[in-house]
Amino acid sequence: MSRLNFLSSDRFVGLVFIAPFVVTALVFMVYPIAEAVRMSFFSYNPLRPDLTSFVGLANFEFVFSDPLFWDSFRQATIWTLLSIVFQTVFGVSIALLLHRALFGMAFFRGLLLFPYIVPTVVIALIWRWIFNPEIGVVNHFLLWVGLINEPVYWLSTPTMAMASTIMLNVWKYTPFVVICVLARLQTVPLELYDAAKVDGAGVIRRFLDVTLPQLREVLIVVIVFRTIWTFNKFEEIYLLTKGGPGTSTFNLAVYSFEQSMANLRVGVGAAAGVVMMIMLLVGSIVYLRIAGFGSEEK
Amino acid sequence: MQVSLTRINKRFGSVQVLKDVDLVFPSRKFVTLLGPSGCGKTTLLRMIAGLEDITAGSIRFGEREVNKLAPRDRNIAMVFQSYALYPQMSVRRNLGYGLRVRGTPKADIEEAVGRVARILEIDHLLDRKPAQLSGGQRQRVALGRAMVRKPDIFLMDEPLSNLDAKLRVTMRGELRRFHLDLDATTIYVTHDQLEAMTMSDLIAVMHQGVVQQFGTPAEVYSQPANVFVAGFIGSPPMNFLPGTIDAGRFTFADAKLPLPALPGGVKPAHAAILGVRPQDLIFEGTPAADTLTGTISLVELLGSEKLVEVNLSGQKRMSVQIHADMVVNMGDRVHVKFDPQRVHVFDTESGRSLRAG
Repeated sequence: MSRLNFLSSDRFVGLVFIAPFVVTALVFMVYPIAEAVRMSFFSYNPLRPDLTSFVGLANFEFVFSDPLFWDSFRQATIWTLLSIVFQTVFGVSIALLLHRALFGMAFFRGLLLFPYIVPTVVIALIWRWIFNPEIGVVNHFLLWVGLINEPVYWLSTPTMAMASTIMLNVWKYTPFVVICVLARLQTVPLELYDAAKVDGAGVIRRFLDVTLPQLREVLIVVIVFRTIWTFNKFEEIYLLTKGGPGTSTFNLAVYSFEQSMANLRVGVGAAAGVVMMIMLLVGSIVYLRIAGFGSEEK
Repeated sequence: MQVSLTRINKRFGSVQVLKDVDLVFPSRKFVTLLGPSGCGKTTLLRMIAGLEDITAGSIRFGEREVNKLAPRDRNIAMVFQSYALYPQMSVRRNLGYGLRVRGTPKADIEEAVGRVARILEIDHLLDRKPAQLSGGQRQRVALGRAMVRKPDIFLMDEPLSNLDAKLRVTMRGELRRFHLDLDATTIYVTHDQLEAMTMSDLIAVMHQGVVQQFGTPAEVYSQPANVFVAGFIGSPPMNFLPGTIDAGRFTFADAKLPLPALPGGVKPAHAAILGVRPQDLIFEGTPAADTLTGTISLVELLGSEKLVEVNLSGQKRMSVQIHADMVVNMGDRVHVKFDPQRVHVFDTESGRSLRAG
């Protein structure tokens, strides 16, 4: 094939079109991951790069024997699990509500995107104000209504801090679930509901036998994505509580960051990151297998 | 179970889709609602099913008014155009769903599902999912789901329109046979006049939300009540010529054509439309006062027949159906004649047949 022929071939055009993505992925995804994996086998202090040395699996040994790592893992699991449960339940419920053709629904659908598009930094700052024990609106309101008698220290007790970060995560990412579910709901054939009505199914049976099975696939995907993104989440926790009080809201991302940046043990931070990646990878594959994603014909 | 509709009206916002529909579907008959898309036939069927509110009027099953009854309390079954099988359930569970929802004992469900599956010859498919079935098999499952509950009334919304032409012909016969076995009233919606003609005991021809004619297939074919019915029923479609009636003859261009008796009443120089089916036209050797002369512009071989298009004066065309053995050529000049007893005459203004009293 001559050079001119190659330049005008479909193959070349295809390569040109995927090149930007491939380059971006290599530079911003593959390289950092590879670098993190490499780093996890070295002892590296950014202030003393001259002392960098290969340490084998020592960083992993450290991580696995560090009680804080396991605390972080446990807390990350709780935070992820509760976030996902609430996001899914609220997301599906709100989507079902918005799916009805009621007056003003277009406005609410628009409003729904608000938490999702506001930058996390802004949200975290606003929430810190909202949760402020002395001047925050939450305490003010609860005291006024009479649900509490004295200010609640939202971000200063371990349980409350964890609950607050979960609340923030649920508030911010429920819209994502709503949008995915709503999109799917709009494609459910209406004749299925008619058939179920004629067959005698009431509202609940129609939800269980028509709506829910149709939402199955989208929920599987949404739950995988939300789990990965929530388990990894750094900025919301860090901006709201900095992992505190103490280390009570540490998750693995915060742990990795603290090891790398506060303790200057970049190798340990990298090792924690690698462990986290493997956990998510294995978890996702197992979950998709159990859920039977893609195995069923349409 | 007899189904009676009295002055049924339906409005979607400002759009009136059904106007004063009065129909009585006799018990155990196969009745078809026939009309072009948008004529309101599916809406009417959905109202009978209870899936659509009634703006005004009354629907009665037997003596009982069902206007306010939910679909589940009407003892009806419905077959949908898209079949609407539950995709996550096996054929067995699809068939038994209606019974399961109603709390029928398990053994009875098994028995009923087995019986229907045997009748429809789908017993080997019971453990498959709808996605693993062909179009015809899905159709049968949809039919089985309707049959399994032994409903009083069967509603079918264009159930054959997603099947290929050959299967459609087979299923037409089968549907008719199932209807006879089932002892239920069947109300069938279609836009395909051939389906309506071959399967029905009675046909209600609908157009723009109004029932144009309600009668047996033979009646709507041979005594169409108006121009719409005449044009909609029959294939190839009827020819229409505009003209005037004078002294018992129909004047079109130079021709004065003979007419049958018109009890509908005729004014002098009455503006009318003459309708004649392509099958009722013949070619004559010589021109006469009662023939139309034109030039052949197209010949289509249909198999045992030929459909010949003849250009008449005044930009009018006529199709004539002749035996395939007859030799005709494009450009031939021909003289067309018909038996006056086989034509239809309609009032131009109202469109109503002048042959009816």
